[in-house]
Amino acid sequence: MIKGQIESRALPRALRHAIDRHRMQAETDLIRTHQMEFKDEFLSHVSHELRSPLTAVRQFVSILLDGLAGELNPEQRQYLEIVLRNVKQLHSMINDLFEVSGVQAGKLRIDLQCTSVADAIAYTVNTLQGAAAAKGIIMLPSDIERNLPSVYADPARVRQILIILVDNAIKFTPQNGTVKIRARICEEQPDFLLLEVSDSGCGIDPNLTERIFERLFQASDPALADHNGLGLGLFICKDLVTRQGGQIWAHSEPGKGSVFSVTFPMFSLPKLLAPVFSEERQTEGPVTLVVTEIGSQTGWLSNEVRADQCRGIREILRGCLYSNLDVLLPKMDSAGPLERFFIVAITDGIGGEAICARIRKQLDSSEPLRQAGLTHSTYYRSLEVIKEDATEPKEGFLERVAVDIQELMNEEALSKQVGSG
Amino acid sequence: MDSRKKILIVDDNQDIRLGLHVRLKANQYDTFFAADAVSGVAEALKHLPDLIILDLGLPGGDGFTAMESLNKIPTLAVIPIIVVSARDAVGNQKRAYEAGAKAFLQKPVNDAELLAVIRQSLAEPTETKKPTLHDEGSV
Repeated sequence: MIKGQIESRALPRALRHAIDRHRMQAETDLIRTHQMEFKDEFLSHVSHELRSPLTAVRQFVSILLDGLAGELNPEQRQYLEIVLRNVKQLHSMINDLFEVSGVQAGKLRIDLQCTSVADAIAYTVNTLQGAAAAKGIIMLPSDIERNLPSVYADPARVRQILIILVDNAIKFTPQNGTVKIRARICEEQPDFLLLEVSDSGCGIDPNLTERIFERLFQASDPALADHNGLGLGLFICKDLVTRQGGQIWAHSEPGKGSVFSVTFPMFSLPKLLAPVFSEERQTEGPVTLVVTEIGSQTGWLSNEVRADQCRGIREILRGCLYSNLDVLLPKMDSAGPLERFFIVAITDGIGGEAICARIRKQLDSSEPLRQAGLTHSTYYRSLEVIKEDATEPKEGFLERVAVDIQELMNEEALSKQVGSG
Repeated sequence: MDSRKKILIVDDNQDIRLGLHVRLKANQYDTFFAADAVSGVAEALKHLPDLIILDLGLPGGDGFTAMESLNKIPTLAVIPIIVVSARDAVGNQKRAYEAGAKAFLQKPVNDAELLAVIRQSLAEPTETKKPTLHDEGSV
């Protein structure tokens, strides 16, 4: 551009121009980043501030509905029930706002573990049965294989995803329609479990089946305009699914209903063990299964609180383990106030006693554990098979180890059930 | 009168205080109020309630400051606290438990859940619990 014009003023001008442009670009990027941060902080702040007045509205509507301020006639009751339903809807939208600010800030927590999809489906059906029944919609958890394999996902997030999808399906299905939930092993990807939520609703324009997962997407179709929501549910869903290693997509034709499909990676013990045994350490054996039981003196706490405490314990236990040497296995029995954590540890010749002592010491000195009123006990079982095989790992070795570990874990779970543990 | 349990409500929102009062009164609880962290501790000293419902976002020091002050006074440290807050559960819930709260409920609160948690908290002994850490040894 400035060739041959070195002597003129063009060069310094061009340089100044380039520097200015670069600076402006940098400033624009910075402003954009600040704007995003501000927007997320704003969303978080607004949703927080909205919760307090909403609390008062809900409190007093409930007080009136419960007759604490006098008897209601049927018409008054009907109107107040409409208010309460809308308050709940508003609450759900505020939670979406809060959630989406977490998505943007990358703050959402995902606690991957062995998760039962069948349990998540049962929970969802139970939660949304009322909403479906109110519209005369039949909700069917069908085609659920009897021995559906577990997935490697966060159970709370799987429930959240299903609730969003099924809730959407109910919203967009007319009176007396049908909503179906299916789960099976994905034919194209056998390492994944496929979950499908289908409805007999109005369907989606095929050109929009990708765009519906965008943030704040709202269909312009007047037939859909009446439905509540901020257009954040599917955006949150997609973020949660992809961050757990799965995929989500929709298939639909207008007037013929929609099918939302989600995949989750299946839980695989050999896959989890692989990093440990692929190291040179595999020849060091023997291997020990350590069992840590966490008991709660506050058994009345809600499942949510218990899950939070459980996450805390997992963090503490992770701190007890040797990186790339020991594996904290997902808990295989999720029910009940007691939690049982299984740890596979390569003893490195020191023995299970030493590993137990290490874990006990960490748990004994844990202030959060003490504060939460939790108790623990830790003991171990040697995994004899490994002693023979570990020196010369062969093909299928990991699978065999996994079977042995699984058997030991099942034994432990059984002993817990019969109370002889 | 003596058999009725006393509950101190610490929340800066007057409407929420009134709403809780109506609900708790209907369930045979006596209520006292404070609108900030400092008067929350003062009211607790004055009435020695059986339970405290505590908001986190308070003027004059937040709910965590209030819990810190309550924990320093032996007669108040044993009173069960239920945190009821509009703040995000992530982080705050854990922090509340670490500060000694019995439960964390997010606003808007489900009344049935709140009453269940109150009943459970009041049913438990008020002494500071000592966890029975036990090891079973090797199998």
